[in-house]
Amino acid sequence: MSELIRLENISKSFEDTNVLNNINLTINENEFVTLLGPSGCGKTTTLRIIGGFVQPDSGRVYFDGKDITDLPPNKRNVNTVFQNYALFPHMTVGENIAFGLRVSGKPEQYIKDKIKYALNLVNLNGFENRRIDRMSGGQQQRIAMARAIVNEPRVLLLDEPLGALDLKLRQEMQYELVRLKNELGITFIYVTHDQEEALTMSDTVVVMNNGLIQQMGTPEEIYNEPENAFVADFIGDSNILSGRMVRDKLVNINGVDFPCIDGSDNGFLPGREVDVVIRPEDIDIVPPGQGILNGTIISKLFIGVHYEMLVKSETGSGFEWLLQNYDSYDVGEKIGMYVKPENIQIMHKPKSEAEQAIELDL
Amino acid sequence: MKKAFSSIYMVIMMLFLYLPIVTLVVLSFNESKSMAKFTRFSLKWYEEMLGSRMIMSAIKNTFTIAILAALIATIIGTLAVIGLDAMTVRSQNILLGFNNIPMLNADIVTGIALMLSFLLFGVSLGYKTILFSHITFCIPYVILSVRPRMNKYTDTLFEAALDLGASRGYAFRKIIMPELWPGITSGFLLSFTMSVDDFIITHFTRGAGINTISTLIYSQVKVGIRPSLFALSTVIFAVALIVLLVVNILPGRRAKRAALEV
Ligand SMILES: Nc1ncnc2c1ncn2[C@@H]1O[C@H](COP(=O)(O)OP(=O)(O)O)[C@@H](O)[C@H]1O
Ligand SMILES: [Mg+2]
Repeated sequence: MSELIRLENISKSFEDTNVLNNINLTINENEFVTLLGPSGCGKTTTLRIIGGFVQPDSGRVYFDGKDITDLPPNKRNVNTVFQNYALFPHMTVGENIAFGLRVSGKPEQYIKDKIKYALNLVNLNGFENRRIDRMSGGQQQRIAMARAIVNEPRVLLLDEPLGALDLKLRQEMQYELVRLKNELGITFIYVTHDQEEALTMSDTVVVMNNGLIQQMGTPEEIYNEPENAFVADFIGDSNILSGRMVRDKLVNINGVDFPCIDGSDNGFLPGREVDVVIRPEDIDIVPPGQGILNGTIISKLFIGVHYEMLVKSETGSGFEWLLQNYDSYDVGEKIGMYVKPENIQIMHKPKSEAEQAIELDL
Repeated sequence: MKKAFSSIYMVIMMLFLYLPIVTLVVLSFNESKSMAKFTRFSLKWYEEMLGSRMIMSAIKNTFTIAILAALIATIIGTLAVIGLDAMTVRSQNILLGFNNIPMLNADIVTGIALMLSFLLFGVSLGYKTILFSHITFCIPYVILSVRPRMNKYTDTLFEAALDLGASRGYAFRKIIMPELWPGITSGFLLSFTMSVDDFIITHFTRGAGINTISTLIYSQVKVGIRPSLFALSTVIFAVALIVLLVVNILPGRRAKRAALEV
């Protein structure tokens, strides 16, 4: 896969607030990249910089090797599906889809065929003469897609396109989007704050917070090997605890030693304070005394396929562990808990603000 | 009991609102000049009105000034809204604050101020000064009615058009203008009625020898009002009523037709 878009040292602030801090990001051809992060972390701003609607304060944007930082949006080979769809209300569905083609002076017959093709692609055959306000939210979403893709952009930018839809429709559309992307063979850059959506659809997930890229990787990497507590917490349910390295491959959490697979060869020296993430489904339930630590079940909830339980540990300060298990245990029951070494994810603690400030001074 | 009370209330309210107008209309058809007694139905005051040069020229002045003032104010006000949209929120708020002051200002102050300015700059009072004054006081209303149509949503539509390759000019004509139209038409209509309605500002900026309907009636009151002016007032009321009905019925019809099409 070859590089298509590169953001280089992009920074942006709005009225004294830093929205993006030195973002570096490379996006390959034919990739489904998702920018994931909590609301206000700068995802939309990043997308708008790629689309040409926002000028970065510093840094460059490259498209296919060429510097496009100063190119206006109407000169970029990129199309956007806007958050609220931004369909033209006084035009019919067909006129909306034809807009880009008319602007570029395509012959009418070509436009007609293209509208048919696009409506077929988004499963809205025969809707070309409908008025926009007669279409449901899900249909409007599809029209916005169709309007963008008829222009054959090399990149499609999507800003929370499913945000306004209900859960069932959203899940359906997730499959639709992946199918569309594969059919079109173009690059998708997708913005969402929904971690499930990001994990389901993407080839690459870029986790952002406070205008910084926290981690970038495949959904599996992001889920199984979060690089810091923020990523672990944002992606899925997890137990996040403070720990201290006892020695190589042994970490102490709340006074209990857990065997793990990290050590000084990847930077976790003995005595180092660390953050530890253990996913709720990675905690095995064993008879009391046979695991690493014991605890008492204090609540239980059936959430579909499995049970979700809170277990208060006997040792330490009585930390309440979140567990997921296919088997049901009774509230009040005493159990043992065991975690395989490879399921313990050790992470560096985030630098304190003072340390960060010193680093910036250097 | 409650129901009876509420209908009595309605009747009283309607009487207060419409009795004076009904009186006017009735008297305009009165044969005698008396304001106290209705003698016989006649159209003679309407004939007198149509024959009076003074009245006809006042009507002409009123409506040409209203149309020109509304047209020019609408153009200037709409351009102002487009300009505002490109500014920071802070400067927008400051300018909109300034925009509101003339509307809250007493007409008499505006009128005298305009008159003094014309005299200061040596402009002789007449048709043009009335027109200029009317444009001045209409602009804020145009801004007020067009401005809400230019919002974040319109900005996104503009961006969407650019995103699809349109030039800024094309995006403005094809996407933004249709969004602004309802605001522009209501700004125009508002300006038109404000202009027709105005007496005080016209009074101070008109100079001698030129009258609009309102200043004409005012000057006639001093020499003794004739029933032909009742006829004039009745005609104006009827025109206003018809315009109101048309404006209210047309959009309803259009919406219904659109609904049937689908
Ligand atoms: N045009 C703007 N003017 C001022 N502040 C803005 C503007 N656009 C975005 N911001 C601010 O930048 C921050 C990041 O916004 P955004 O990129 O939209 O975040 P996200 O899409 O991740 O929710 C927010 O705090 C937002 O208020
Ligand atoms: Mg956003």
